[in-house]
Amino acid sequence: MTTEDIPRLSGEWMTPRRRFISALFGGRVDKIPAMTLSSVATLEGMEIADADFPEAHLDAEKMARLAATAHENLGLDTVMPVFHSQLEADALDADTWWGEKDNWPATKGHVLDDPDSFKIPPDYLERRSFKAVLGAIKLLRKRYPDVGIVGKVYGPWSVGFHLVGIENWLMGTITEPDKIRRYLEVLLPASMMSAHAQFEAGADAVMWADHANRELCSPETYRDFLLEMHQGVTEEMGGPSILHCCGETTDRIDYFAEAGWDCFHFESQVDPVKAKEIVRDRMSLFGNINNPTILFSGTYDDTYKACMEVLEAGIQGVAPEGSVPLGVKMEVLQALSDSARDYSNANRPDGRLVTFNPTK
Amino acid sequence: MAQLSDITNAVIRTEIEEFIDDPAEIERNVELFAKASAQMQEIAAALLEGDNDTVDQLTRIALDEGIEALEIMDDGLIAGMGIVGIKFRDGFIFVPEVLVCARAMKAGMAHIEPILAASGAEPAGTVIMGTVKGDLHDIGKNLCIMMLRGGGFIVIDLGVDTSPEEFLEAVAEHDAHVIGMSALLTTTMPNMAKTVEAFKDAGLREKVRFMVGGAPVTPEFAEDVGADGYGKDAMAAVELATKLAIEVRA
Ligand code: B12
Repeated sequence: MTTEDIPRLSGEWMTPRRRFISALFGGRVDKIPAMTLSSVATLEGMEIADADFPEAHLDAEKMARLAATAHENLGLDTVMPVFHSQLEADALDADTWWGEKDNWPATKGHVLDDPDSFKIPPDYLERRSFKAVLGAIKLLRKRYPDVGIVGKVYGPWSVGFHLVGIENWLMGTITEPDKIRRYLEVLLPASMMSAHAQFEAGADAVMWADHANRELCSPETYRDFLLEMHQGVTEEMGGPSILHCCGETTDRIDYFAEAGWDCFHFESQVDPVKAKEIVRDRMSLFGNINNPTILFSGTYDDTYKACMEVLEAGIQGVAPEGSVPLGVKMEVLQALSDSARDYSNANRPDGRLVTFNPTK
Repeated sequence: MAQLSDITNAVIRTEIEEFIDDPAEIERNVELFAKASAQMQEIAAALLEGDNDTVDQLTRIALDEGIEALEIMDDGLIAGMGIVGIKFRDGFIFVPEVLVCARAMKAGMAHIEPILAASGAEPAGTVIMGTVKGDLHDIGKNLCIMMLRGGGFIVIDLGVDTSPEEFLEAVAEHDAHVIGMSALLTTTMPNMAKTVEAFKDAGLREKVRFMVGGAPVTPEFAEDVGADGYGKDAMAAVELATKLAIEVRA
């Protein structure tokens, strides 16, 4: 057999799972992945999967079915079953309202005012919120060995919002910084346990959310309260890590990269070109299609165009910026995978590989 | 016209110099503080430093000395909070700093409010504020409330997850005419329209003015739901409420 006779790879030759994991580390891919990292559960998806909110939050089978619509119906490379933000908080005795069919759950009251009175319950990982999520991840792993599974953890900063109250928390960073640090210290193991359990159940990567965006605090607050802690988290998480932080974060992305995250899932307020300039090859970037104006109010074409723009910026994967509004149409979300496919087809120089991560 | 140097308090001078860019805003603040007594400037400065104990103490001392509650509120507390609003709007400070300053404001107002209530002095107006049904985001709404209180309004806070009925009840109970609704979720924004509808159904639409806000809300959306105004931030909320309160009284 001569060199010319070797059968060559062409087109899409990776499974969605391989593609997702490789992109997460800024590696070579056959196609740029289109993903869900936070929720793409929609009212339409609930009908298709016969799995409605709020039941889908506490029933592993329904959760798995609803999560699977991301791959089955939208052609995305990942699935993500944690549609809400209550996983850890609920298992830590927060006062959870599980919401309605057309609304998300939330924490109603605050239960913690002294870090030293905090204890992780002995049955923490067996509680209802974890039973559903860990069960759903296991089901998804079994049903979709080739699809990327993303887990979601709220870090101690964001769990603190739920347990202590967001205003008490934010004000505390100035009035009682040592108390906030103590909270972070005692809450951290709960988030770590959640991450480890999701990896063990079969997640390929865990998205860690700590909301320290410009709408909420200064970049120095991230540096002083979270940077070192996050360095420890990425070291000990045991698997691929994605940081999620909502809102405008351009002024602190440099810190995120220094924390050692493999990837940052960013929002539409952040200009992808600028973000890429700041992080260079230190971490991958996934994002950042706008929820309210593009996905919710816009059309398929608007979304397709927005996706092409972020892909042009040279980021490693395209995804909605955050949990998509429940009224978003599947038809509009379809533009995510379509645009990633078309962009990749147009950028396969030797007919085979798209090597991404060009630092422009 | 007053000059920056007419302001005796160094903290206030620096704040104006460093953080206010807009010439009209500089002029307004220089006028305001130049005519305020040194003691009032000191209260405003303590508020800007987020020092609630000092604001508490200075307010008490001023009242004991016979200074009018209204003067302390206008020239000390509200004037100070005005600069806080500008600094936040322009990105010099963040939510935590605003919360700390608002706490200081509250410490002063705790002494002022009962006196004003007893004297029957006219507030700028009464505003009912709430985050709409199904929505639990309240940081933005709370900042608006702080600035509205800082602007001399009485504010009734209905909290989060507020149904149209709750807005209706509150208006009846407090004889208020301006209603502010906040929403951060596209799924809950339509509940603004539902509230406006409920007032129409109750035959009360003409008696009240609605202002709306929250990150996903736009001026166009405000018009669509039949609101009377849109505010993009907490400073805008105060301006808007002032305008709407005058309109509805007329
Ligand atoms: C903090 C936050 C939270 C906190 C809320 C804590 C709290 N007590 O408020 C927590 C973590 C609990 C949370 C939960 C959720 N959140 Co949230 N959250 C945010 C975040 C990061 C910041 C919002 C904020 O406080 N901003 C700071 C304040 C100061 O700004 P603001 O609210 O806009 O207010 C200013 C102006 O708008 C204006 N204003 C506000 N109200 C009013 C009213 C009037 C009358 C006027 C004149 C002006 C005015 O003045 C304010 C001051 O300047 C945003 C991201 C973002 N980019 O906004 C997401 C965001 C709002 N959340 C989002 C989502 C999806 C959720 C969840 C559904 C997540 C989930 N999957 O479970 C849940 C919802 C729970 C529920 N049912 O409500 C989405 C909403 C998408 C959409 N548009 O539908 C956002 C946009 C993030 C995203 N891109 O996905 N969230």
